[in-house]
Amino acid sequence: MICSDAFHATAQAMADVRGAPGYRYLTTPHPVAGLTPEQVRERAENVAAEVANMLTKDQGA
Amino acid sequence: MSGDAASPDPDAARDAIEYCYEKGWTDGLPVVPASEALVNEFLEHTSRSPDEVLWRMDHLGRECTVHTAAINAAMAGCLPEYFPLVLAAWDAVMRDRAAKGGGWQSTSGPAPLIVVNGPIRHDLEINCTGGIFAGGFRPNATIPRALGLMLRNAFGVLPHVFDQTTQGIPGRWSICFGENEEESPWEPLAVETGLEPGTSALSCTLTRTYEFVDNRHTQDPEQLLNDFADTLSRTGSLIFRGQSAGVVFCPEHAQMLAGAGYAKADVKDWFIEHVGRTEAELRRAGKDAVSEGGPGARSASESERAPADTFTPYLSGRKDIPIIVAGARNAAISMVFRVFGEWSNTSVEIERMAVAAAKGG
Repeated sequence: MICSDAFHATAQAMADVRGAPGYRYLTTPHPVAGLTPEQVRERAENVAAEVANMLTKDQGA
Repeated sequence: MSGDAASPDPDAARDAIEYCYEKGWTDGLPVVPASEALVNEFLEHTSRSPDEVLWRMDHLGRECTVHTAAINAAMAGCLPEYFPLVLAAWDAVMRDRAAKGGGWQSTSGPAPLIVVNGPIRHDLEINCTGGIFAGGFRPNATIPRALGLMLRNAFGVLPHVFDQTTQGIPGRWSICFGENEEESPWEPLAVETGLEPGTSALSCTLTRTYEFVDNRHTQDPEQLLNDFADTLSRTGSLIFRGQSAGVVFCPEHAQMLAGAGYAKADVKDWFIEHVGRTEAELRRAGKDAVSEGGPGARSASESERAPADTFTPYLSGRKDIPIIVAGARNAAISMVFRVFGEWSNTSVEIERMAVAAAKGG
Protein backbone atom coordinates (compact mmCIF):
# COMPACT_ATOMS: atom_id res chain seq x y z
CA MET A 1 0.00 0.00 0.00
CA ILE A 2 1.16 3.53 -0.79
CA CYS A 3 -0.41 6.64 0.71
CA SER A 4 0.61 10.28 0.90
CA ASP A 5 2.52 11.19 4.04
CA ALA A 6 -0.37 13.36 5.32
CA PHE A 7 -2.32 10.18 6.04
CA HIS A 8 0.30 8.48 8.18
CA ALA A 9 -1.75 8.54 11.42
CA THR A 10 -4.84 7.13 9.70
CA ALA A 11 -2.86 4.39 7.99
CA GLN A 12 -1.27 3.35 11.29
CA ALA A 13 -4.67 3.30 13.02
CA MET A 14 -6.19 1.31 10.15
CA ALA A 15 -3.46 -1.29 10.46
CA ASP A 16 -4.10 -1.55 14.20
CA VAL A 17 -7.88 -1.87 13.83
CA ARG A 18 -7.48 -4.58 11.19
CA GLY A 19 -5.29 -6.59 13.56
CA ALA A 20 -2.04 -5.88 11.74
CA PRO A 21 -0.05 -3.52 13.98
CA GLY A 22 3.27 -2.69 12.39
CA TYR A 23 1.91 -3.36 8.90
CA ARG A 24 4.41 -1.92 6.46
CA TYR A 25 3.37 0.54 3.80
CA LEU A 26 5.04 3.21 1.73
CA THR A 27 4.42 6.93 1.62
CA THR A 28 4.85 9.56 -1.05
CA PRO A 29 5.03 13.28 -0.28
CA HIS A 30 1.73 15.11 0.05
CA PRO A 31 -0.04 16.47 -2.02
CA VAL A 32 -0.85 14.10 -4.85
CA ALA A 33 -4.25 15.26 -6.16
CA GLY A 34 -3.01 18.10 -8.37
CA LEU A 35 -0.07 16.29 -9.99
CA THR A 36 0.20 16.01 -13.78
CA PRO A 37 0.53 12.54 -15.33
CA GLU A 38 4.25 13.20 -15.80
CA GLN A 39 4.69 14.07 -12.12
CA VAL A 40 2.79 10.94 -11.09
CA ARG A 41 5.14 8.90 -13.29
CA GLU A 42 8.11 10.49 -11.51
CA ARG A 43 6.63 9.58 -8.16
CA ALA A 44 6.17 5.99 -9.33
CA GLU A 45 9.77 5.78 -10.49
CA ASN A 46 10.99 7.14 -7.19
CA VAL A 47 9.08 4.60 -5.14
CA ALA A 48 9.46 1.56 -7.43
CA ALA A 49 12.59 0.21 -5.76
CA GLU A 50 10.97 0.40 -2.34
CA VAL A 51 7.88 -1.39 -3.65
CA ALA A 52 9.99 -4.21 -5.03
CA ASN A 53 11.92 -4.38 -1.79
CA MET A 54 8.75 -4.57 0.31
CA LEU A 55 7.14 -7.22 -1.91
CA THR A 56 10.17 -9.47 -1.72
CA LYS A 57 10.68 -9.15 2.07
CA ASP A 58 8.53 -10.53 4.90
CA GLN A 59 5.92 -8.13 6.28
CA GLY A 60 7.07 -6.59 9.53
CA ALA A 61 10.56 -8.03 9.21
CA MET B 1 -26.96 27.00 43.45
CA SER B 2 -28.87 27.73 46.66
CA GLY B 3 -28.30 24.41 48.39
CA ASP B 4 -32.01 23.64 48.33
CA ALA B 5 -32.32 19.99 49.35
CA ALA B 6 -34.59 19.30 46.37
CA SER B 7 -32.16 20.66 43.82
CA PRO B 8 -29.69 18.34 42.06
CA ASP B 9 -26.16 18.15 43.41
CA PRO B 10 -23.96 20.17 41.04
CA ASP B 11 -20.77 18.65 42.41
CA ALA B 12 -22.03 15.12 41.70
CA ALA B 13 -23.02 16.28 38.21
CA ARG B 14 -19.59 17.74 37.69
CA ASP B 15 -17.91 14.49 38.73
CA ALA B 16 -20.05 12.51 36.31
CA ILE B 17 -19.40 14.95 33.47
CA GLU B 18 -15.66 14.89 34.10
CA TYR B 19 -15.77 11.08 34.15
CA CYS B 20 -17.22 11.20 30.61
CA TYR B 21 -14.37 13.47 29.53
CA GLU B 22 -11.83 11.09 31.01
CA LYS B 23 -13.39 8.23 29.10
CA GLY B 24 -13.08 10.18 25.83
CA TRP B 25 -16.84 10.12 25.20
CA THR B 26 -17.38 13.81 24.50
CA ASP B 27 -17.11 16.00 21.44
CA GLY B 28 -15.44 18.70 23.52
CA LEU B 29 -18.61 19.98 25.15
CA PRO B 30 -19.99 18.41 28.32
CA VAL B 31 -22.29 15.45 27.79
CA VAL B 32 -25.22 14.31 29.88
CA PRO B 33 -24.07 11.29 31.90
CA ALA B 34 -26.29 8.46 30.67
CA SER B 35 -27.63 6.13 33.35
CA GLU B 36 -29.23 2.84 32.41
CA ALA B 37 -32.59 4.22 33.52
CA LEU B 38 -32.23 7.23 31.23
CA VAL B 39 -31.21 5.07 28.27
CA ASN B 40 -34.21 2.83 28.89
CA GLU B 41 -36.48 5.85 28.62
CA PHE B 42 -35.07 6.47 25.17
CA LEU B 43 -35.60 2.86 24.16
CA GLU B 44 -39.25 3.09 25.20
CA HIS B 45 -39.77 5.60 22.38
CA THR B 46 -39.07 3.07 19.64
CA SER B 47 -40.46 -0.32 18.71
CA ARG B 48 -37.04 -1.30 17.38
CA SER B 49 -35.00 -3.88 19.28
CA PRO B 50 -32.07 -2.48 21.28
CA ASP B 51 -29.90 -5.12 19.63
CA GLU B 52 -30.77 -4.11 16.07
CA VAL B 53 -27.66 -3.05 14.21
CA LEU B 54 -28.26 0.36 12.67
CA TRP B 55 -25.08 0.25 10.65
CA ARG B 56 -21.82 -1.60 10.47
CA MET B 57 -18.60 -0.07 9.18
CA ASP B 58 -16.91 -3.25 8.01
CA HIS B 59 -13.56 -1.63 7.30
CA LEU B 60 -13.34 -0.41 10.92
CA GLY B 61 -14.92 -3.53 12.39
CA ARG B 62 -17.36 -1.35 14.36
CA GLU B 63 -21.13 -1.16 14.47
CA CYS B 64 -23.85 0.90 16.11
CA THR B 65 -26.94 -0.72 17.60
CA VAL B 66 -30.19 0.96 18.59
CA HIS B 67 -29.00 0.66 22.20
CA THR B 68 -25.69 2.40 21.48
CA ALA B 69 -27.56 5.10 19.59
CA ALA B 70 -29.79 5.63 22.63
CA ILE B 71 -26.77 6.06 24.90
CA ASN B 72 -25.28 8.65 22.58
CA ALA B 73 -28.59 10.47 22.10
CA ALA B 74 -28.90 10.70 25.88
CA MET B 75 -25.34 11.99 26.19
CA ALA B 76 -26.01 14.55 23.43
CA GLY B 77 -28.72 16.12 25.59
CA CYS B 78 -31.73 14.83 23.66
CA LEU B 79 -35.01 14.26 25.44
CA PRO B 80 -36.16 10.62 25.17
CA GLU B 81 -38.94 11.66 22.78
CA TYR B 82 -36.34 12.91 20.29
CA PHE B 83 -34.94 9.40 19.90
CA PRO B 84 -37.12 8.39 16.92
CA LEU B 85 -35.74 11.44 15.09
CA VAL B 86 -32.17 10.39 15.81
CA LEU B 87 -32.93 6.93 14.40
CA ALA B 88 -34.73 8.40 11.39
CA ALA B 89 -31.88 10.84 10.76
CA TRP B 90 -29.36 8.03 10.78
CA ASP B 91 -31.51 5.93 8.42
CA ALA B 92 -32.03 8.94 6.15
CA VAL B 93 -28.40 9.97 5.89
CA MET B 94 -27.34 6.40 5.21
CA ARG B 95 -29.48 6.48 2.08
CA ASP B 96 -26.86 8.95 0.84
CA ARG B 97 -24.34 7.03 -1.26
CA ALA B 98 -21.46 9.15 0.08
CA ALA B 99 -22.28 8.34 3.71
CA LYS B 100 -22.02 4.62 2.91
CA GLY B 101 -18.78 5.11 1.02
CA GLY B 102 -16.54 6.70 3.61
CA GLY B 103 -18.01 10.22 3.61
CA TRP B 104 -17.96 10.33 7.41
CA GLN B 105 -14.17 10.15 7.30
CA SER B 106 -13.73 12.63 4.44
CA THR B 107 -11.24 15.48 4.51
CA SER B 108 -14.23 17.76 3.78
CA GLY B 109 -15.61 17.07 7.26
CA PRO B 110 -19.16 17.05 5.86
CA ALA B 111 -22.09 18.02 8.09
CA PRO B 112 -25.38 16.16 8.19
CA LEU B 113 -28.28 18.47 7.30
CA ILE B 114 -31.53 17.33 8.93
CA VAL B 115 -34.87 18.79 7.77
CA VAL B 116 -38.01 17.86 9.69
CA ASN B 117 -41.56 18.00 8.32
CA GLY B 118 -45.01 17.45 9.75
CA PRO B 119 -46.75 17.93 13.09
CA ILE B 120 -43.84 16.59 15.13
CA ARG B 121 -42.12 19.95 14.54
CA HIS B 122 -44.66 21.59 16.81
CA ASP B 123 -45.05 18.71 19.25
CA LEU B 124 -41.32 18.75 20.03
CA GLU B 125 -40.89 22.52 19.58
CA ILE B 126 -38.38 22.15 16.77
CA ASN B 127 -37.37 25.58 15.52
CA CYS B 128 -38.52 26.26 11.96
CA THR B 129 -38.35 30.06 11.89
CA GLY B 130 -35.89 32.63 13.22
CA GLY B 131 -32.34 31.42 13.73
CA ILE B 132 -32.56 27.92 12.24
CA PHE B 133 -28.76 27.87 11.88
CA ALA B 134 -28.11 29.96 14.97
CA GLY B 135 -28.78 27.66 17.92
CA GLY B 136 -30.95 28.18 20.96
CA PHE B 137 -33.37 25.25 20.61
CA ARG B 138 -32.89 21.90 22.29
CA PRO B 139 -34.06 19.46 19.59
CA ASN B 140 -32.30 21.40 16.84
CA ALA B 141 -29.05 21.36 18.82
CA THR B 142 -29.07 17.87 20.27
CA ILE B 143 -30.43 15.61 17.49
CA PRO B 144 -27.52 16.29 15.09
CA ARG B 145 -25.09 16.21 18.00
CA ALA B 146 -26.28 12.67 18.71
CA LEU B 147 -25.16 11.63 15.21
CA GLY B 148 -21.73 13.11 15.88
CA LEU B 149 -21.41 11.22 19.16
CA MET B 150 -22.53 7.99 17.48
CA LEU B 151 -19.82 8.44 14.90
CA ARG B 152 -17.27 9.03 17.61
CA ASN B 153 -18.28 6.55 20.26
CA ALA B 154 -19.88 3.72 18.30
CA PHE B 155 -17.74 3.72 15.18
CA GLY B 156 -14.55 5.12 16.71
CA VAL B 157 -14.20 7.83 14.07
CA LEU B 158 -12.06 10.21 16.12
CA PRO B 159 -10.50 13.51 14.97
CA HIS B 160 -6.94 13.29 13.65
CA VAL B 161 -7.20 9.52 13.18
CA PHE B 162 -10.16 8.00 11.31
CA ASP B 163 -11.83 11.40 11.02
CA GLN B 164 -9.52 12.99 8.46
CA THR B 165 -11.26 16.37 8.33
CA THR B 166 -8.96 19.11 7.03
CA GLN B 167 -11.00 21.99 8.51
CA GLY B 168 -14.63 20.90 8.47
CA ILE B 169 -17.96 22.64 8.20
CA PRO B 170 -18.59 25.24 10.93
CA GLY B 171 -21.28 23.89 13.23
CA ARG B 172 -20.83 20.43 11.74
CA TRP B 173 -23.02 18.63 14.29
CA SER B 174 -25.68 21.30 14.78
CA ILE B 175 -27.62 21.58 11.51
CA CYS B 176 -31.20 20.45 12.12
CA PHE B 177 -34.43 22.40 11.72
CA GLY B 178 -38.05 22.10 10.78
CA GLU B 179 -39.32 23.33 7.45
CA ASN B 180 -41.41 26.47 7.85
CA GLU B 181 -44.39 24.82 6.20
CA GLU B 182 -46.78 27.46 7.51
CA GLU B 183 -45.07 30.25 5.57
CA SER B 184 -43.85 28.23 2.60
CA PRO B 185 -45.74 28.71 -0.66
CA TRP B 186 -44.62 25.27 -1.82
CA GLU B 187 -45.28 21.65 -0.82
CA PRO B 188 -43.21 20.41 2.14
CA LEU B 189 -40.04 18.48 1.37
CA ALA B 190 -41.51 15.25 2.75
CA VAL B 191 -44.50 15.57 0.41
CA GLU B 192 -42.30 16.44 -2.57
CA THR B 193 -40.29 13.29 -1.87
CA GLY B 194 -43.38 11.10 -1.87
CA LEU B 195 -44.97 10.99 1.59
CA GLU B 196 -48.55 11.86 2.46
CA PRO B 197 -49.26 15.44 3.63
CA GLY B 198 -49.26 15.66 7.42
CA THR B 199 -46.68 12.88 7.82
CA SER B 200 -43.99 13.52 10.41
CA ALA B 201 -40.79 12.76 8.56
CA LEU B 202 -37.28 13.98 8.00
CA SER B 203 -34.68 14.07 5.28
CA CYS B 204 -30.96 14.07 5.86
CA THR B 205 -27.89 14.35 3.68
CA LEU B 206 -24.22 15.18 4.09
CA THR B 207 -23.33 18.75 3.12
CA ARG B 208 -20.05 20.53 2.40
CA THR B 209 -20.56 24.32 2.32
CA TYR B 210 -23.07 26.96 3.39
CA GLU B 211 -23.30 30.54 2.13
CA PHE B 212 -25.81 33.38 2.52
CA VAL B 213 -27.69 35.00 -0.29
CA ASP B 214 -28.75 38.34 1.19
CA ASN B 215 -30.93 39.98 -1.41
CA ARG B 216 -33.47 42.56 -0.22
CA HIS B 217 -32.67 44.60 -3.27
CA THR B 218 -35.00 43.51 -6.04
CA GLN B 219 -38.57 42.48 -6.72
CA ASP B 220 -37.61 40.95 -10.04
CA PRO B 221 -37.59 37.14 -9.76
CA GLU B 222 -35.00 36.73 -12.51
CA GLN B 223 -32.62 39.10 -10.77
CA LEU B 224 -33.11 37.22 -7.53
CA LEU B 225 -32.56 33.86 -9.21
CA ASN B 226 -29.41 35.23 -10.85
CA ASP B 227 -28.06 36.17 -7.43
CA PHE B 228 -28.66 32.59 -6.26
CA ALA B 229 -27.16 31.17 -9.45
CA ASP B 230 -24.03 33.30 -9.02
CA THR B 231 -23.54 31.98 -5.49
CA LEU B 232 -24.27 28.39 -6.54
CA SER B 233 -21.82 28.75 -9.44
CA ARG B 234 -18.78 29.72 -7.39
CA THR B 235 -15.70 27.71 -8.22
CA GLY B 236 -14.32 27.51 -4.69
CA SER B 237 -16.32 24.49 -3.60
CA LEU B 238 -16.34 22.83 -7.00
CA ILE B 239 -14.60 19.48 -7.22
CA PHE B 240 -16.33 17.45 -9.93
CA ARG B 241 -19.01 17.82 -12.55
CA GLY B 242 -22.49 16.78 -11.56
CA GLN B 243 -22.50 18.28 -8.10
CA SER B 244 -25.62 18.59 -6.02
CA ALA B 245 -26.57 21.85 -4.33
CA GLY B 246 -29.65 23.21 -2.64
CA VAL B 247 -31.22 26.28 -1.14
CA VAL B 248 -32.85 26.92 2.22
CA PHE B 249 -35.10 29.75 1.08
CA CYS B 250 -36.32 32.24 3.64
CA PRO B 251 -40.10 32.71 3.43
CA GLU B 252 -39.74 36.12 1.76
CA HIS B 253 -37.66 34.86 -1.15
CA ALA B 254 -39.84 31.77 -1.59
CA GLN B 255 -43.04 33.83 -1.53
CA MET B 256 -41.64 36.29 -4.03
CA LEU B 257 -40.74 33.53 -6.47
CA ALA B 258 -44.06 31.74 -5.96
CA GLY B 259 -45.89 35.03 -6.41
CA ALA B 260 -44.18 35.40 -9.79
CA GLY B 261 -45.47 31.98 -10.78
CA TYR B 262 -42.51 29.76 -9.95
CA ALA B 263 -43.28 26.34 -8.56
CA LYS B 264 -40.45 24.56 -6.79
CA ALA B 265 -39.77 22.53 -9.94
CA ASP B 266 -39.53 25.75 -11.99
CA VAL B 267 -36.88 27.12 -9.66
CA LYS B 268 -34.93 23.88 -9.99
CA ASP B 269 -35.17 23.95 -13.77
CA TRP B 270 -33.96 27.56 -13.77
CA PHE B 271 -30.95 26.57 -11.71
CA ILE B 272 -30.17 23.57 -13.94
CA GLU B 273 -30.03 25.93 -16.90
CA HIS B 274 -28.12 28.80 -15.28
CA VAL B 275 -25.84 27.39 -12.60
CA GLY B 276 -22.37 26.79 -14.02
CA ARG B 277 -19.33 28.52 -15.44
CA THR B 278 -17.68 28.87 -18.83
CA GLU B 279 -14.51 27.03 -19.68
CA ALA B 280 -12.56 30.29 -19.47
CA GLU B 281 -13.92 31.03 -15.98
CA LEU B 282 -13.14 27.51 -14.79
CA ARG B 283 -9.65 27.71 -16.29
CA ARG B 284 -9.01 30.95 -14.41
CA ALA B 285 -9.52 28.98 -11.18
CA GLY B 286 -7.59 25.92 -12.39
CA LYS B 287 -10.80 23.91 -12.46
CA ASP B 288 -11.28 23.39 -16.17
CA ALA B 289 -10.88 19.68 -15.51
CA VAL B 290 -14.51 19.53 -14.44
CA SER B 291 -15.63 20.28 -18.00
CA GLU B 292 -17.13 17.53 -20.11
CA GLY B 293 -14.33 15.11 -20.97
CA GLY B 294 -11.88 16.83 -18.63
CA PRO B 295 -9.14 14.84 -16.95
CA GLY B 296 -10.46 14.82 -13.39
CA ALA B 297 -9.31 16.71 -10.33
CA ARG B 298 -6.27 18.53 -11.72
CA SER B 299 -6.26 21.43 -14.19
CA ALA B 300 -6.57 20.45 -17.84
CA SER B 301 -3.55 20.35 -20.12
CA GLU B 302 -3.57 22.30 -23.40
CA SER B 303 -4.77 19.34 -25.48
CA GLU B 304 -7.60 18.58 -23.06
CA ARG B 305 -9.10 22.05 -23.03
CA ALA B 306 -12.57 22.80 -24.33
CA PRO B 307 -13.34 26.10 -26.19
CA ALA B 308 -13.23 29.10 -23.83
CA ASP B 309 -16.92 29.95 -24.17
CA THR B 310 -18.17 26.41 -23.51
CA PHE B 311 -20.65 26.56 -20.62
CA THR B 312 -20.34 23.80 -18.05
CA PRO B 313 -23.57 23.37 -16.10
CA TYR B 314 -23.05 22.02 -12.58
CA LEU B 315 -26.49 20.58 -11.86
CA SER B 316 -27.95 17.74 -13.87
CA GLY B 317 -31.42 17.07 -12.51
CA ARG B 318 -34.16 18.20 -10.15
CA LYS B 319 -33.36 15.38 -7.74
CA ASP B 320 -29.93 16.95 -7.15
CA ILE B 321 -31.39 20.25 -5.93
CA PRO B 322 -33.05 20.05 -2.52
CA ILE B 323 -35.18 23.12 -1.88
CA ILE B 324 -36.44 23.88 1.60
CA VAL B 325 -38.21 26.89 3.12
CA ALA B 326 -37.21 27.86 6.64
CA GLY B 327 -36.28 30.84 8.76
CA ALA B 328 -38.06 34.00 9.79
CA ARG B 329 -40.09 36.28 7.55
CA ASN B 330 -38.23 39.37 8.80
CA ALA B 331 -35.61 39.72 6.06
CA ALA B 332 -34.76 38.41 2.61
CA ILE B 333 -31.80 36.23 3.61
CA SER B 334 -31.50 32.66 2.38
CA MET B 335 -28.80 29.99 2.53
CA VAL B 336 -27.19 28.10 -0.30
CA PHE B 337 -25.58 24.76 0.50
CA ARG B 338 -23.68 22.10 -1.39
CA VAL B 339 -24.47 18.45 -0.94
CA PHE B 340 -21.36 16.41 -0.17
CA GLY B 341 -22.28 13.44 -2.32
CA GLU B 342 -25.73 12.59 -3.52
CA TRP B 343 -28.93 13.51 -1.67
CA SER B 344 -31.23 10.47 -1.58
CA ASN B 345 -34.20 12.67 -2.57
CA THR B 346 -36.27 10.80 0.00
CA SER B 347 -37.70 11.39 3.46
CA VAL B 348 -37.98 8.90 6.31
CA GLU B 349 -41.18 8.69 8.34
CA ILE B 350 -40.60 9.27 12.05
CA GLU B 351 -41.94 6.59 14.38
CA ARG B 352 -44.50 8.20 16.66
CA MET B 353 -45.88 5.30 18.68
CA ALA B 354 -44.13 6.15 21.91
CA VAL B 355 -44.60 9.91 21.61
CA ALA B 356 -48.34 9.43 21.24
CA ALA B 357 -48.37 7.07 24.23
CA ALA B 358 -46.48 9.57 26.36
CA LYS B 359 -49.15 12.13 25.59
CA GLY B 360 -51.87 9.66 26.52
CA GLY B 361 -53.02 9.31 22.89
